[in-house]
Amino acid sequence: MIEFDDQEKRMVLKLVYYGPALSGKTTNLLKLHDLLDMRDRGDLMVLDTKDDRTIYFDLLPFYLKAPSGLKIKLKVYTVPGQVKHDATRKAVLQRADGVAFIADSRPDQAATNFESFSNLENNLACVGLNIEHIPLVVQFNKRDLPEILSEEDIRRTWEPTGVPVFMASALEGGGVRETFGKLLELVYQAVDKKVGLLDKHGLSLEAFITKLTAPRESAAS
Amino acid sequence: MGETTPQESIRFVVGEERDIAEILSAAEIAPLLGSLVRAGAAGAALVRDSGEVLWQSGSEAGTHAVTVRLPLQVEGEPVGGIEVHGPEERREVLTAMACLFRDTVQTILNTNLKRMMTTEIHTTVVNQSYDELLEANRQLAASEGRYKTLAENLEKIVTTRTKELQQAYVRLVQQEKMAAVGQLAAGMAHEINNPLGFVTSNLSTLAKYVQRFRDMLSFCRSSLAAPGLEGVREGVRREWGRLKIDPILADVDELFAQSLGGCQRVSKIVADLKAFSHIDEGESGVVNLNEEIDRTLNVLAPQLPEDCVVRKNYGNLPGLRCNPAQLSQVMLNIIMNALQARPQGLHLIIETGVRGDSVAACFTDNGPGIPPAVQSRIFDPFFTTREVGAGLGLGLATAYDTITSWGGAIEVASEPGKGASFTLTLPIVRT
Repeated sequence: MIEFDDQEKRMVLKLVYYGPALSGKTTNLLKLHDLLDMRDRGDLMVLDTKDDRTIYFDLLPFYLKAPSGLKIKLKVYTVPGQVKHDATRKAVLQRADGVAFIADSRPDQAATNFESFSNLENNLACVGLNIEHIPLVVQFNKRDLPEILSEEDIRRTWEPTGVPVFMASALEGGGVRETFGKLLELVYQAVDKKVGLLDKHGLSLEAFITKLTAPRESAAS
Repeated sequence: MGETTPQESIRFVVGEERDIAEILSAAEIAPLLGSLVRAGAAGAALVRDSGEVLWQSGSEAGTHAVTVRLPLQVEGEPVGGIEVHGPEERREVLTAMACLFRDTVQTILNTNLKRMMTTEIHTTVVNQSYDELLEANRQLAASEGRYKTLAENLEKIVTTRTKELQQAYVRLVQQEKMAAVGQLAAGMAHEINNPLGFVTSNLSTLAKYVQRFRDMLSFCRSSLAAPGLEGVREGVRREWGRLKIDPILADVDELFAQSLGGCQRVSKIVADLKAFSHIDEGESGVVNLNEEIDRTLNVLAPQLPEDCVVRKNYGNLPGLRCNPAQLSQVMLNIIMNALQARPQGLHLIIETGVRGDSVAACFTDNGPGIPPAVQSRIFDPFFTTREVGAGLGLGLATAYDTITSWGGAIEVASEPGKGASFTLTLPIVRT
């Protein structure tokens, strides 16, 4: 949690989209921005890139108010995936409330996926967070490509971990909202335990998710 | 997990909330407000959500009929707004101006936010990378420090180890000598037992003979006591023959001579052995090289096979000052090497003589010879061409040390297939 101010009645939460370079983290955010109703929401901030590759981070901010008057800001970040930007990844991970790990479904990316996940575990520990406890979902992206790992194999590998897994194609849009929605659910449960979202602030899980994932009314661009 | 500590010194957190007054500045907003007023608005302002006016131009809101308010957002959260007011008849224009003004301010706000976020994370990353570099540098410096200490101590450590090695070498040499002496002692024991054997046998035979003499004397005495001398003479003659006194008398001298000779041999062997075992008592004396060679050969005698021929060609030598036992040891090593080079049919020539102001002894064998590559190494400690366990390779090294410590020299000359020749030279001491 970035901030919880009882006096000011504001809470700022952070979600991080993590994963190896070019796995589709920024694309996920771009798609969310397209799919969701962003009126009275924040603009998508894509900071300077080099050849369309993230150097710093991207930010998609959300804002909602609980019935109690508590102002909730949800900041969704992506991290740069290239190995050399590890310091940036550490900085972005600080105080994160939840992580979506975006993996590349291509078979030749298996090792890269693994290294990135290992890097996530290490960096979480560096900033005082535990991968076992933090709300975490995994997305296997690029399902639109021809040569990919089978869903069966992926689920077989991940089932024992208990981590929710989603198949997605961020370019086409499938699986993006579902990933985001599940992560929001896990984050709600964790935050509710800490601040009593339902009891103290009257904000139910359904309301939380609905407000944040309301689709854009006009046709998606 | 690689890292050890979480980041404690981060002052800026990615996602830290910023106040609208931090993101916008008077320098950016005031000119726009001024333009609005010049363009026909009665007044314009930028306010917080709470109503607090941050910047304004022209007259205040309350005094006019129309006030157009539009919200401003920071990261999706409404935090304030802009206001443009003026007379009723200008409502359309005022609305248009307000929209334009709000969009402009919102764009400035978003751009500034992006710039601030970029700067802050850039600074954080640079600082963190720098901190990591400093830490790596510190560890390298510490490592370098350890190497320096090691290098400085290395000299001391090497000296200590060298001393330890030298002590070990001395112990090994001693062990080798002991082993050599042990071997000789075994040969000696056999040789001592040999003459002791026949001396013992002779003595038992002599004991039996003495008993015969006793019997004869006893008979003579008892015969002389009886009357009638002719009968006595006959009886004595018969008994003399029966007891075989004549052959015994002939044999007795031989037995004594042999036995005495055997005892002398044993004495000599023991004397030579004593000389050898006192090897380290460091008794220097005036030494005759020829005698010492002979003594060594005596000691070696049991180990020389039947078909071994030793030819001695001794010159007239003055005295040498050295430890005779150690000198014998040197020659023993040389002769033993020759024997091991050619166990069968060894032909050893030993020549001594005076060369300039030194005495020289040359030992030449008809063995297989020594290849040139080996020749340069035979005096090295622990160098041996024998199999593992068959010799430490210290014999010639010790010989070299001993001779050179007396101011002498030891040299080898050899051609493969044509035997080897070892020459000792020792300086003559003019007394």
